[in-house]
Amino acid sequence: MVIDTERAAAGDGEEPTPRRALLGQAGATLAGFTLLALTGCGAQPKPGPQSVKRAAPPVRSNDVVLLGRLLDLERRTVAAYIAGIPLLRHPEAKAAEQFLNEELQHTGELLSLIKAAGGTAPDRPPSYDLGHPRTPEDVLALLHALERAQIAAYLEAIPRLSPDPVRAAAASILTNDAQHIAILRLAQGQTPAPSAFVSAHE
Amino acid sequence: MSEPRPRAGVTRREMLALGGAGLGAAAGGALVAAAGGILLDASPATATSLPSPTDADRLRRLVSVELLMLYCYEHVLAGPLLRPRAHRLMLPVRGQEEAHVRVLSSRLAALGGTPPVGPASVKEADRDLARRGVGGRLNQLQGGRDALFLLLAVEQVVVGAYFVALTKLDDVRLVALAAQIMANDAQHEALVGEALHPGQAQKAVPYGLVQGIQ
Repeated sequence: MVIDTERAAAGDGEEPTPRRALLGQAGATLAGFTLLALTGCGAQPKPGPQSVKRAAPPVRSNDVVLLGRLLDLERRTVAAYIAGIPLLRHPEAKAAEQFLNEELQHTGELLSLIKAAGGTAPDRPPSYDLGHPRTPEDVLALLHALERAQIAAYLEAIPRLSPDPVRAAAASILTNDAQHIAILRLAQGQTPAPSAFVSAHE
Repeated sequence: MSEPRPRAGVTRREMLALGGAGLGAAAGGALVAAAGGILLDASPATATSLPSPTDADRLRRLVSVELLMLYCYEHVLAGPLLRPRAHRLMLPVRGQEEAHVRVLSSRLAALGGTPPVGPASVKEADRDLARRGVGGRLNQLQGGRDALFLLLAVEQVVVGAYFVALTKLDDVRLVALAAQIMANDAQHEALVGEALHPGQAQKAVPYGLVQGIQ
């Protein structure tokens, strides 16, 4: 399964209309962080993007690199959901549509953070080689593998990201991907949450 | 046992010792409480004189909320409220909550802290739920849906506590651990949602950015 990313991009939050909408949603995490600022230090809350801009330049550039890698994985997963949903049965397809919308939110959030840090999002590859899934089971296995890869990447990145809004945003995405994998495992007849400590090995 | 109450002029350390949570207010200045139990006097003079919470303080709050979560699962699973499917889904969660408490308590002890004690009775647990702003009460559960909605609300508070902690923890090893546990607790939240709304992922996993309730 090779997916054309130009077509996929129409829904991955990088074209004008959906992107605007997604960037609006991206404020949710940053707004949540603003509340934390109130509880944490007694200082006046600042909007997330401003807080990111105020970070020290070396930290910001490191964040941009890490966030760019995460964005690449999110785009791949978005492509897989778009390509795989038509092959799924009804209940799984409905769940996958929900997860696709959430993955799109993740790409919007990451794009927003990269921009707020003064960086540029990495280019999208022209296509993704997603293997040759032909059955619903194949698609679930593919989505499961991609969600697992994302979880591994977020767990590696989070301790290395700047604290506060950037780390918080990454954690909120990781957490949602962990929920996706639990529901996907359930659909595959597996134990939904096999470990008390979510890891790349689940 | 009377409920600890914030009072005017109390120090932040004293407030942390109270172990309270949920939103609150006290005379002499507005107080804001995070899910884990931070209480801050918003007046600048007091705020600047208070020491910042340490990683041990933050771990202690996480253990405290996990102990409440564990108590709620134990209470619900020990009773007849849940239907078999929901019971089967929730049963492994209890062991995972125990694992969270065990590992976090061990890390806290390594930092020289003393792990808090969990609720000893339904009454204590209900008091803690009220302090944290959770609507349900263990002693008022009428059926399986009540029980699941209560578990869902507490899981959201737990996830919110980790969300707060993750932005503030200094030790990157603790950051990594907190992220792993937060992700697992969010999985529990999704499973409770699945038990409430079988086959409806849009209700079990309704948000793309999971932050819990702070």
